Amino acid sequence: MRVLQLILFGVVTGSFLLVGTIGFALTRRVEGFLNIAHAELITVSAFGTWFMNRELGWNFFLAGGIAVVGTSLLGLVVARLFYDPIKHLGSSVLLITSVGVTFFLHGIAEGSIGTGIRVFDIPTPTVLSLGELRITTYQLAIVGIAIVTAVGLTLFMNRTRTGMDIRAMAINRDLAASRGIDIRATSRATWLIASGLAGLAGVLLGVQATLTTDLAFQQILIILTVAIVGGLGSLYGVIAAAFLVGFAMDLSVLWLPGGYRPMVAFAVVIIVLAVRPSGLARTAG
Amino acid sequence: MRRHSALVILIAAFSLVAAACASTGTPSDGAGGDGDGVTIGVLVPLTGEAGAFGQIVADTAQLAVDEINASGLNPCGQINLVIADTQTNPEQGIREGNRLMDSVGVVAIVGPTSETMVALVDSAITNEVVLFSPYAGSISLNALGGNFVYRTVASDLDDGKAAGLWLVDRGYKRVAVLTQNEESTISIGTAAADAARAQGVEIVADASFAPGQTSYQAELSSVLASKPDGIFLAGGQQSGVTILKEATALGYEGEWLLAADMAVPEVIEGVGADLMEGIAFAELASADTDLPTYTAFAALHKEKLGTEAGPFSANSWDMMNLIALAMNAADGCTGAAINDALRSVSSGGTVVSSYEEGAKALANGTDIDYNGASGPVDIDETGSVTGSYAIVGVKNGEWTGVEFYSADTFK
Repeated sequence: MRVLQLILFGVVTGSFLLVGTIGFALTRRVEGFLNIAHAELITVSAFGTWFMNRELGWNFFLAGGIAVVGTSLLGLVVARLFYDPIKHLGSSVLLITSVGVTFFLHGIAEGSIGTGIRVFDIPTPTVLSLGELRITTYQLAIVGIAIVTAVGLTLFMNRTRTGMDIRAMAINRDLAASRGIDIRATSRATWLIASGLAGLAGVLLGVQATLTTDLAFQQILIILTVAIVGGLGSLYGVIAAAFLVGFAMDLSVLWLPGGYRPMVAFAVVIIVLAVRPSGLARTAG
Repeated sequence: MRRHSALVILIAAFSLVAAACASTGTPSDGAGGDGDGVTIGVLVPLTGEAGAFGQIVADTAQLAVDEINASGLNPCGQINLVIADTQTNPEQGIREGNRLMDSVGVVAIVGPTSETMVALVDSAITNEVVLFSPYAGSISLNALGGNFVYRTVASDLDDGKAAGLWLVDRGYKRVAVLTQNEESTISIGTAAADAARAQGVEIVADASFAPGQTSYQAELSSVLASKPDGIFLAGGQQSGVTILKEATALGYEGEWLLAADMAVPEVIEGVGADLMEGIAFAELASADTDLPTYTAFAALHKEKLGTEAGPFSANSWDMMNLIALAMNAADGCTGAAINDALRSVSSGGTVVSSYEEGAKALANGTDIDYNGASGPVDIDETGSVTGSYAIVGVKNGEWTGVEFYSADTFK
């Protein structure tokens, strides 16, 4: 029974990681670099929601919705201001710039939020139990949102014009441009979607965890782990990797002291890269 | 090339993130040495999770120094403070600590937390700089302290003993210990488990968890599987609030004893008062608030700073007074001179209760025993004092005192 409960925890952990990583993987795939500042967009959204919900007393869903849209727009602004002008310098420069952006956003968050812990003003969740198995309504919602996100993004990528443009651009930017795809508009759409997903992850983070300004940043290592295990940019790979890492972390407590739980994620990276150097996905497509 | 690209990116990205985590702080200026004044570094967390505690120490240290400087009795002249922020990050603390010693030239560094303090011991001894903390309880310091390394807080061994006493007094039969994987929390958790075990309480689980996670339910499930009737949680606020909520969701109905970091109103607000009412307790080093020295200090704090004295405020006050009195008793104004005189002014002589009283007595050639706001503060050979502890519980949505263990309990 305990194993089943841990598997259930793994599903919840994996669901959060999926929402947290999928936008990161999308920008990596389309824009060609690791946007470390993705974690700080999660912070901005989490504290934006907290501010509207707790300080202004707004309804949680309204606050969360505004935070997701706001983070989406912020991500686009950051990309236009900081990344687009230096795009021609290559992915390493962009990666380092994104670390700079991380500092910038983190500093603003620390300066305006301050020290200590914050939680949303939401009721205690109801616990659903089946025998000894337990899951809260909030955890169930996180799993549901992750499924909707994954399915929605897959449909979007395969069924809509913008989605197919994004995929074309991810495979070969120059060829996509020569075939008449509006590169700038597609890039904008990518940033809006990826940052919106960071915003969604921020709301889920605040629902599940106790917020500090450092918390989301502490997740970037796990997010990087999932993205790399998934094959750096493959959306299907990310889905598989999120759950693999989630299960590995939560089931590890059966054999290892709990203090090692985050380390297990890194062990998964080492093992996966040793066996499949390109990650879980068969191709980078 | 392709085979290696993922690895290269992984290593590059991790290095960058690691570098980003270890950010540099803002430099502040100051001058050290003796002659017309000495400089003391205040190395505290002003940002990050422990920021609230660091601010209390910095404010109280400034208050004490203002009073000492105003008295005009210090032979080393004006004491200047240089404040450095550890960002609640040991690596940053070590960098800033070394900067204070090497570039600023301080004679003492006050206010480090356990992790930072333990790491700075060697450089402090080499540089002959006094390290003094009002709240670093780590058991590691028991072996390291006594020479250049001091504290006005008892060792976590006493903290653990106080926790153990409560676990026994409360009548638990099966206790689980859940410890955050950090220097300070590990030493409290270990000491509490040992103390409770010695009194015949069965420790049914002794588990650890890494901080900074979104969820701790996997770690928690292994503790709850042992069916404890009380859990001692040695954790921080971020982890602790999540753990209390998750334990309730997982069906835990027993009681809690929490480590001192969690005895703040924010934790009750974060968890929800209804989930903690009557079942959550916390143990914390606490001055005997009935002592006249404490009430006098609390009144001064209120008058000068406009706020009530916070946690470790009295300990910080005593720390600064002891350093200043050591300057009066010493043959010079260096870190080495302060180190030589520090223990002698804390015990074994005429009892004094303020800097001014002590400085005047020393000027008359009298040996002094400084008894401060936080208690007798007799510094022993390990550089620590014997503390007194309070157990507080959640009552009507607030932390309320339910038990007090005086310093005599642990002697």
